[in-house]
Amino acid sequence: MENLVRKAEALAERYGVSYYEIRITRVTASHLSIRNGQLDELSLNAEMGIGVRAFNGAWGFSSANDMTRAEEAIKTAMKIAKLSRGDSRIHLGDPVRERAEIKVRKPFTDIEVEDKLTLVKEIDSLLEGERIVSRETAYGDGLKEQLYFNSLGSEIETVVPRVRVGFSVTARENGEMQTYWRYFGGTAGWELVEDIDFPHWAELVKEKALSLLHARSPPSGEFEIIMDPELTGVFIHEALGHAVEADSVKNGDSILAGKLGERIAVEGLTVVDDPTLPGKYGSYVYDDEGIRGKRVEIIRDGVLVNYLNDRETSALLGLEPNGHGRAQGYAYQPLVRMSNTYVEPGSWSLEEMLEEVKNGLYMAGDKGGQVDTASGTFTFGATEGYIIENGEIKDMVRDVAMSGSILEVLRNIRAVGKELRVEFPGYCGKGQVVPVDDGGPHLLTRALVGGLR
Amino acid sequence: MNSSVETLVSILERENVEWELYWEAGRGGSFRIERERLERSQRKFYSGMGLRVGYNGRLGFSYITGLNHDRKTLEEFVKRAVKLARVSEILFRGFPAPSKVPRVDGLYDRRIEDIPFEEAHSLAEEFAGKMRELKGDSLTLSGSLALGVNSYGVANSSGVFLEGRSTGMSVSAYAVVEGTRPGTGYHYQSYRSLQPLEELGRSIALAREEALLSSAAERLEPFSGELVLEPSAFQSLLGIFLENLYGDSVYFGRSRFSGTGEEVAGEAVTLVDDPTLPGLPGSYPFDGEGTPGRRTVLIEKGLLRNFLLDHTYGSFLGMESTSNAVRDFRTVPHIGTSNLVVEPGKERLEDYEGVVVRRVFGEHTANPVSGDFSLTVELGYVIKNGELRPFRDNMLTGNVFEVLRSVSSVGRESVREGSFISPRVLTVGRIV
Repeated sequence: MENLVRKAEALAERYGVSYYEIRITRVTASHLSIRNGQLDELSLNAEMGIGVRAFNGAWGFSSANDMTRAEEAIKTAMKIAKLSRGDSRIHLGDPVRERAEIKVRKPFTDIEVEDKLTLVKEIDSLLEGERIVSRETAYGDGLKEQLYFNSLGSEIETVVPRVRVGFSVTARENGEMQTYWRYFGGTAGWELVEDIDFPHWAELVKEKALSLLHARSPPSGEFEIIMDPELTGVFIHEALGHAVEADSVKNGDSILAGKLGERIAVEGLTVVDDPTLPGKYGSYVYDDEGIRGKRVEIIRDGVLVNYLNDRETSALLGLEPNGHGRAQGYAYQPLVRMSNTYVEPGSWSLEEMLEEVKNGLYMAGDKGGQVDTASGTFTFGATEGYIIENGEIKDMVRDVAMSGSILEVLRNIRAVGKELRVEFPGYCGKGQVVPVDDGGPHLLTRALVGGLR
Repeated sequence: MNSSVETLVSILERENVEWELYWEAGRGGSFRIERERLERSQRKFYSGMGLRVGYNGRLGFSYITGLNHDRKTLEEFVKRAVKLARVSEILFRGFPAPSKVPRVDGLYDRRIEDIPFEEAHSLAEEFAGKMRELKGDSLTLSGSLALGVNSYGVANSSGVFLEGRSTGMSVSAYAVVEGTRPGTGYHYQSYRSLQPLEELGRSIALAREEALLSSAAERLEPFSGELVLEPSAFQSLLGIFLENLYGDSVYFGRSRFSGTGEEVAGEAVTLVDDPTLPGLPGSYPFDGEGTPGRRTVLIEKGLLRNFLLDHTYGSFLGMESTSNAVRDFRTVPHIGTSNLVVEPGKERLEDYEGVVVRRVFGEHTANPVSGDFSLTVELGYVIKNGELRPFRDNMLTGNVFEVLRSVSSVGRESVREGSFISPRVLTVGRIV
């Protein structure tokens, strides 16, 4: 290690590199999946690799997963930086020396693989049932130990555990098929798994899949929609989160560029991205640029007050760095990414919200989404829904996606619920995949619904 | 043969197990251009070996990074995989036996393997320069360029021993027209051989053209009826449908289908998976298990003919592998597509007057088993009396099984986007 530091210093001098950073990562992971009672995957692996980034007005990056090539990776990144000679600037800041470990009650590395196997088998058997034609359960954990150092003299050691477990069923009747699922996860240990009431959730998942078989497709057109906390999460992630990632602002790819300080949403709407929330799936202490992750208020009372940034975008836009440069792994360069994104609670009860809706939809559950940040159009899917007529919840509807324009939908929010839930772990793709969480309270807004009726 | 592979084989041959080794080593250079400036350049190296072990009808898997290890490390690696096979409970269905592998030309271009990084960097600089030439006051251009080389091999205890190498290049361009109503355009293409600057320029031109259309686009009034899907939009819908053809989905009852022969599309539709096409990004002479690459007709004149299978799920279903085992050294094989080809038809749909959908997004929100989808239209247009009116931000909704069955004609001229090759298709749909 000492040797690599010295080597990097000498090479930086030789190639005239003004800044560099090195990440050496070791991930110990286990994955198990079972389908219809048949074990499908069981893998226990550890992997180590190095990623090196060097800056000379533009970035040079190199990575290797064979540690005998570590020095070569350092040299390659520096050579590329020398070749690149751009004129961008980055935030440097003071050196940081710290060991930051996200502590858990029961490390999953201490749990025998046999116990993990028992868990997936138990869940699988709970999912059995009439008209349930297919069931899947997946368990995964990973301990990421990372050593970060840079040319400023920072030396940061981080230890982040992540665990995720989820299951799905497919129900079939008279040629109709429907699937329903549930995922749990966090920066936690085995205690997360022990605290889940699997029999309860297995029953719920089966019941939902079966009732969806009889649900109709929703009507299509513009409707008032009440989103549940899970859907609020995916909505705010897609409709706002991606457009406030400052690399898209920098690249002329965000409809929210130049709008800091402007009112872009209704009063009363506050949106936060917070990697410091304890135990959440998108949490971390330091990002992959050696900057401490900070809670960021993106929208405060309807006004756009901040972007999520990294070393480069904070320098360019003159903003305080907030530690949102995240990489999928050692073989990837950090990009500006979200962590745990949510809408702060307001004052409305669900009953009060329902009373506001004459003809609309109550939509629940996250099926993911996508956004075109430049044009401001986004889409997101709900796993289930219900027709609302004159303030009352009526028939169940299925398979629905909604679409809208960022600026319109944020202004169309009419009510923010009072109960907050941030517990919907998932992954966000942007060329690279990183774990995130999101949520919020119930939200009442308008969107374009694409149903088949 | 790499010496670690040789040592591993000799260690494995002494064990009383069946085994399969997959190894690869490669490197890649890639470049990102942001607002016409080359901002991020990178060069990555990777290598590793994945080992599957079959013991007493059970399967174990483990991988190790790097291809240069001492004997002790390799012995421990084998021990780990064997131990997992003993506890795993994953059913083991044997490994493929050797058989003749087809010759697939055009998968390797020495110029990509030999290009010095500095030259690749210069090409990326020229690509950025081309963008600077073409940008306008309200138009910004970004993009990426990547080059890679990979060598790989698979060996098993049934006697398979195959090695191969391939190269790849990909280019993308992204255009944004700023203004009160910003428009975006995108183009991506991948190749097996080194491409000249003109080809990169073509990518920029196509992205730019699309962004200009997009910035002029408005929302279309709701529409229901006959419409044309351009290859990109058709690919999005086919992707939802295809989840039902993966052998594991069929085996575990997560597919709409349990057998072949059913009428699933209009008579004009023939869909083929073909890894043996020369020079294409999805081509290979053998798949991740060493099964020789073969052409598989998935839909023939509207009838479902085949599923996509690897050795394991082929065996579970009493069928043969269709050579669709996809993997890297970190993973066990899983089922995937190679090149997907929609066979051209007889119509000249290029002259079609009416509603045309070019690009949609949000496929992952669709439900593959019910087939229902509602996707955002990123770009479409209406042509009437030769006049073109672009639209976007509507949703294209429907049921994928119905849309496929409603395909009444397929165009004559195919377009390739990566490993997807298709003409336009005429079907019935709904825009809301």
